[in-house]
Amino acid sequence: MSEQPEKTFIQNIMVKVPIWAVAALGIWFGAGKAGFPIWWQIEFVVFSFYALCFFILLDLPALKPEKGQGTATLRLFVTYGFASILFIGITKNLPQFNPEVELEKLNRPPVNLASLAGPEVIAAGREVFEENKCFNCHKVFWEGNSDRGPNLGTKQIGLYPEDYIKEQILEPRVKQSPGFDDPKSKKAMPTYYGEDLDDDQMAALVAYLKTLRDPEHVPVEGKFGAQWTWWDDQTIVSEGQKVFEGLEPNTEGLNCAVCHGKEGIPLMSGALDFRDANKMDTEKMADRLDGVPLKEWPDALWYKRVTRGVDGTPMAPWGMVFGHLYLWKAEAYAKTFHNPLPPEGRATKYPVPPIPTKEDVERWTKDGLFLDPLL
Amino acid sequence: MDRSINQPQTTPFFKVLSAFLFTFFLVFFNFSTVTSVFDLEKSNFGPQLVYAEDDEEDEEDEEDEEDENEEDEGEESDAEEGSEEGEAEVDDKAYLLDIGPAKDHKMEDFVFPWIGNRKATWIGAQLHILFASFILGCPMFVVIMEVMGARRTKGVRQAIVFSNLFLGVLIGVVIGITIEVILKVHHGVLYGLWACAFGALVVSFLNYFHKLLDPKVSGAVGAVTGGVFAVLLTGFHGPGGAILAVVSGFVGGFMSNMIMFAESDFKFERLAHEITKVIGICYSFTALTGGLFLFIMLVAYSDFITYLVSNFPVLFMIAYPTLFILETILMYIYVYSWDPLNSTNKKGRHIVIGVFLNILGLTLLCALDGPATFMQTPPKPIADIPAMSEWAKIATATWMPLNYHRLVGNGTFGGYMVGIIGAYMYLWSNTKEDKEYYDWVGYIGNIIGVAIMIPLPAMGYIFVYEIYQYDASIGMYIMSDRESMFMLVQGLLVGTMFSASNLYMWISMKRIDNAQRFFPFMKIGFILMIIAATIWFTPRRFFATMMPEPGMNPDMVLPDNLAFLALMISKNTAAFALVTITFINYVFYTIATKTGKVHYGKINPLGIYVLIFLGFADIWLMSWMGTIRELSRMNFHVYRVFKDITPEKYAPMLADAGMNVTQIVWTFFIIMTAVIWIGIKYPKTGKKKKVAAAAAAPQMAE
Repeated sequence: MSEQPEKTFIQNIMVKVPIWAVAALGIWFGAGKAGFPIWWQIEFVVFSFYALCFFILLDLPALKPEKGQGTATLRLFVTYGFASILFIGITKNLPQFNPEVELEKLNRPPVNLASLAGPEVIAAGREVFEENKCFNCHKVFWEGNSDRGPNLGTKQIGLYPEDYIKEQILEPRVKQSPGFDDPKSKKAMPTYYGEDLDDDQMAALVAYLKTLRDPEHVPVEGKFGAQWTWWDDQTIVSEGQKVFEGLEPNTEGLNCAVCHGKEGIPLMSGALDFRDANKMDTEKMADRLDGVPLKEWPDALWYKRVTRGVDGTPMAPWGMVFGHLYLWKAEAYAKTFHNPLPPEGRATKYPVPPIPTKEDVERWTKDGLFLDPLL
Repeated sequence: MDRSINQPQTTPFFKVLSAFLFTFFLVFFNFSTVTSVFDLEKSNFGPQLVYAEDDEEDEEDEEDEEDENEEDEGEESDAEEGSEEGEAEVDDKAYLLDIGPAKDHKMEDFVFPWIGNRKATWIGAQLHILFASFILGCPMFVVIMEVMGARRTKGVRQAIVFSNLFLGVLIGVVIGITIEVILKVHHGVLYGLWACAFGALVVSFLNYFHKLLDPKVSGAVGAVTGGVFAVLLTGFHGPGGAILAVVSGFVGGFMSNMIMFAESDFKFERLAHEITKVIGICYSFTALTGGLFLFIMLVAYSDFITYLVSNFPVLFMIAYPTLFILETILMYIYVYSWDPLNSTNKKGRHIVIGVFLNILGLTLLCALDGPATFMQTPPKPIADIPAMSEWAKIATATWMPLNYHRLVGNGTFGGYMVGIIGAYMYLWSNTKEDKEYYDWVGYIGNIIGVAIMIPLPAMGYIFVYEIYQYDASIGMYIMSDRESMFMLVQGLLVGTMFSASNLYMWISMKRIDNAQRFFPFMKIGFILMIIAATIWFTPRRFFATMMPEPGMNPDMVLPDNLAFLALMISKNTAAFALVTITFINYVFYTIATKTGKVHYGKINPLGIYVLIFLGFADIWLMSWMGTIRELSRMNFHVYRVFKDITPEKYAPMLADAGMNVTQIVWTFFIIMTAVIWIGIKYPKTGKKKKVAAAAAAPQMAE
């Protein structure tokens, strides 16, 4: 039997409550400093309070035996009541959803492309994306909260050809996205979408995915925490070299080396010398960026100059002719003339750009940066 | 002692019973020989009948249309006239297919008053499952208790060989499937099953002849024999399987030895007998609630229930009623032969009946899991379902995982229900002896409940793993979308239950001499336990769907660098910590009971209410998980095959679901309180002397 004298309730809480108060403060501020949002700070403190109650319960004086059935029944009801209030309280106070929203989704007619215009097709594709729970693994720029698969926004899946996107949906294990070739990731993407999606749904989904591009940043590859940009991607740079030198079949007619030189030595006067890291932006464009040397050009400027061209020069708006996927690759190669990419990688990688926000995407649309007609 | 001699009338009873059973089996055997499953599938039975009728109706429609066309066209050729005559003949026989005025009756949709059809179905289904779990889970517990309480006579030892084999199969399957799925050991379930079963069988057989008295040596023999048998039967598929087989064989051998040579204690016998009385009453409630559920379905979801039942004609028309009738007969034999077989010194036979009762119960469980998992994961390709055999529709991707899950879940349920029975009876007892005894019952119920609950998360993991393999959308719906908050509640409940179990152990140890030396270590464990529970609970986001919907705060998401806390690896680590801490505390508890005197009957009354809380929480959680499983089919009765088109096809809000489940569990507990009173407490009132005399009667040696 109990060898230690029982503590009174006051003795029981006298030490525990102050310790808890200090610990709860520490947890609150510690969690905040670690970057936990306020709801998690609240959660941790609530659990610390639970710990306090548990430890008080451990040292609570023994209950007096029941005097009769009346006391026992009352205590029985208190037990059931406590459990019921606890469980109902938990389910009532955790975040809820509105069933009307689901009902509205369930009552929506199936996707029928014949009755939809362009933007509606994209909107329908977005619904297909959501309904099939693609967000469970894929972020789209800032949206979603899982990094199980690549962020389709920052990867800019919209740059890729439709056939490639379809293949990635229907047979996802044929080619893994760079950085996701570990055994777990290889098995992560389900293979049943070919059965689940009809032709209209698939077409709408691809139409939506084709809009996922970023006109201000180079594509990003890899898992969160170990990501890299195309500027540091050996494969992309090699493929870019082919485009640059006119050897890429998909960009037949494009040969950057004709003017910029195969070795980076310009063959035409006025052509940008990629070897000179301190070269400035062209003076022939009204939207020129003054005072920023080539080595520090923002991604957006590279993209703009290549896709829209330079007025009054042979630098045509190549974005109207060739897939931007290849143009980004060519730019990745061009950058190596003043900042070579050794086989083992650069000592200092280019920083991964911040994830674009909702406001960024709205601005791109407003400013026409998406270059939709050019694609 | 003389009661066995003075009661020869039990022999005729068993003769009559045997004759009845023999006749029943004979009739059943002949019936099943004539209409074997194979023949039935070929015959106009079940779905085929339905489709045949549909075809006939279609033909009728076509004929009607043709008649109309003919009337319009006027003249017809001779040949056509011939066919017309034929059609006229068919028309003449149309009366054979005319069911009468009922065909014109259009039934109005009925909505269950106050609560609606879905909630009515929900209540019916869950109450039925709770009672069914009781009558499946408690007999497992009862047979184990009966074995522990029986004196080791020759007959009992023979029965223990059989019961050990049965237990070996169950434990082997649980070990095997856990290792197969978690550590990816190929054919793990077969290695576990064969090794543990053969290990148990061989060791029990040797133990029967008083060989291998040492448990460790028994374990070693079990490991070798079980391992060899398992590898011979399953084949060698790498060292993982062989190691698993050896471990399972050891468990089988060790466990068999411990059971065979356990010192019998009459308390176990009394416990088993009392619980059996409650089981008998609960059988009636299982049938009643089953009927209620079926009637509600027939009115509220008549199209669906017709579709479901017609997909399983052999199961619902032959197998299920047969199994249920057999199980009921066996259950009554088990309940009512308790005293007669005890008094005639045939305890071993009674144990064997108990094992058969469990085998039938488990078969019934597995049989009905077929339609349940057909609704969840119908066999693919779903377009071919009408042509699939009934077996293909039963043996779906999640059938075995659900069988494992329910097997272990029912065992846990049985343990906690016994804990509750012990707690109730403790409160209703007036004598010191009874208080001591029921205090002990609560302890045993809790120990069994917690012990079986330890592999339960693994079984749940296996079930969800198969769901993900079948269709990840269902898994995502559960884990990341509309049911994510439901799963969070599950996490809280599991944390609460582990806390309550540990609290009960703590309180129990206060009534054991010298046990408090473990308290400082246990307190450290409790801190870790609460940290683990916090991690288990911590979600990736605090909004209730995968993507924020109108009215939700999209900022309620953990930043990427802290997201690891919400990943499975963190959750698994937390779960492992919870289980380990509980296990260590259990070891402390066991050491304390072995090294210090346990003052049964002097437990802090708080412990009794903690036991009741635990039982309530377990049954609430069980109902909650059933809710999650049912809702995971989204707006389908049969996932992607049979859509729910009723107005209640949406997922209910978390708060509504919490309220509904609480009401269902209250209903169950009110009925169970009455059942425990009627089954155990009421018969005791005014019969104290008689009960004491029966309890004191020892068994004769055979």
